Amino acid sequence: MTTLLGTPRRVAAIARNTFIEASRNRAFVGLGIAAMGLVASSMALSGLAIADQMARVLVDFGLFSIAVLEVVIAVTMGVILVFKEVDKKTFYVILTKPIRRSEVLAGKFFGLVAVLAIALALMSVAWIGSLAMRGVPLPHDIAQALVLTWLQAVLITSVALFFSSFASPILSGVFTLGVYLAGTTLYVLDDLLIARKGLLVTNDAARAVAKTALVILPDLSVFNLGKELILGIPIGWDYVAASGAYCLGWCLLFWGLAAVIFERRDFA
Amino acid sequence: MEDMIAVEGLRKVFHTPFRRRRVEAVKGVTFNVRRGEIFGFLGPNGAGKTTTLKMLVGLIRPTAGRARILGGEPGAIDIMARVGFLPEQPYFYDYLKPTELLDVFGQIFGLPRAERRRRIDSLLDLVGLGDAKNRVLRKFSKGMLQRVGIAQALLNDPELILLDEPMSGLDPVGRKEVIDLIASLKDRGKTVFFSSHILADIERLCDRVVILHKGEVKHAGTLQELLAQGDRKEILVNGALEDGWAARPGIHAVDRVGGTVTRLLVEAGASDGVLRDLLEARLEVLQVADRRISLEELFVADAGTGPVGAKEVAG
Repeated sequence: MTTLLGTPRRVAAIARNTFIEASRNRAFVGLGIAAMGLVASSMALSGLAIADQMARVLVDFGLFSIAVLEVVIAVTMGVILVFKEVDKKTFYVILTKPIRRSEVLAGKFFGLVAVLAIALALMSVAWIGSLAMRGVPLPHDIAQALVLTWLQAVLITSVALFFSSFASPILSGVFTLGVYLAGTTLYVLDDLLIARKGLLVTNDAARAVAKTALVILPDLSVFNLGKELILGIPIGWDYVAASGAYCLGWCLLFWGLAAVIFERRDFA
Repeated sequence: MEDMIAVEGLRKVFHTPFRRRRVEAVKGVTFNVRRGEIFGFLGPNGAGKTTTLKMLVGLIRPTAGRARILGGEPGAIDIMARVGFLPEQPYFYDYLKPTELLDVFGQIFGLPRAERRRRIDSLLDLVGLGDAKNRVLRKFSKGMLQRVGIAQALLNDPELILLDEPMSGLDPVGRKEVIDLIASLKDRGKTVFFSSHILADIERLCDRVVILHKGEVKHAGTLQELLAQGDRKEILVNGALEDGWAARPGIHAVDRVGGTVTRLLVEAGASDGVLRDLLEARLEVLQVADRRISLEELFVADAGTGPVGAKEVAG
């Protein structure tokens, strides 16, 4: 059976191996400890908050910490996904097996997506535990908010994978973080474009750049619904599904571009 | 006989970005490998052996020319399912045990779980790693990694096995075992293509050989054919010879071998004429003996550091 991403059996073999690699990597264990620490620190911070703001700080800072750490995992592991295999020459034995290069990329992507899911589950348990210990009622749509956080990290993984298919880890990291920062603030550009005054109204070149950015960059604000969570604004599963489709579209695009570049590479 | 590998005018030029330098690693190489033979790919470091091998398995795209393996394109899924490849100094996922590593490869090959287990156990025993199968690869020596590399190259029971320096890193016992293994693969009807700069292994195993030097094929053929090109006579003469002798047609070298004895290395076909000239010059001929050029002499001559009497032989 062959799908758009390749033969599931071959993709699964690479994904499983990528997951094992991450789970046996000390750096990942360190990241996990750091994640727990950051979530725990939200409890400490909540102690400094004004009494009626404690719940808000615990929810807001906790979700923010999880989102940031998911992105940190996606970037740090995503940018070395391809580089490490080239650098350590392990690709010589993988790419000479009956497997397409695009399948290897898909497998590595799914392996890291699974790592992000496990990391999210662990951090969520710690966060929800800290909320329970402080007697803060669980926000109504906490599951939806957490899934959106994971989707954001998945999208960032595909960006990292794309850059790592041709650039060094440092450059890939810089580019990926750039996309992340631009993507999370893209809604500001959108607001400025519909404003009645300002640079993007008066300057045609700036307006063109802003419009291009809106087209070529993913809008990550669709995944950040911490404010809605705190204010109790419902986040429906239909919104999560639509965001998932948005994430999938961008992932396919970045994976496709990475596959085209990777297919043409020589492994000398 | 059917060609398992057919290479025609294969070229590879590497460009270094920014510096605008180009390095032609392989310069129009042509050869073929027939079914069931052990084919040696010989050459000094930097000759282009590994680059050629990488083009044969699809890791590198040729700049020009054509390579076909098992009648198809290098790197194609259906072709690579029938090929085993051992890269030079193989690197593996060092966080895995050999059983886990081979299992990943087995999954890629689409082998059922039970079949994977059976093959993995049998291959690890075959390469002498039966007792080390539960240790992570990080703790393996270079020789042990080479054995894992050989095991993974045989996992799919391939028709064609490409080995890049398979004896590298192995101790004498390990080398003997790999030599025996390669010979047994031929007995099972497999085709083996291996690169090496260890001449003894090539002489011992190969049916046919290509000698590559600076990206070009210098010699190609059976070992018998190659070595016959260098059939020579060694003539020992009592007394010193004038300088002009060394320049005579058919004479490869003239050197003193101790005391008053001078040695001439002469092409077999020219030996009668040289002997006649020596006798006419009233020189005492002490001995005339056949001297077959060794593969090593042929190889070293190509590398441009030829020993006495090893001028390049036309290929």
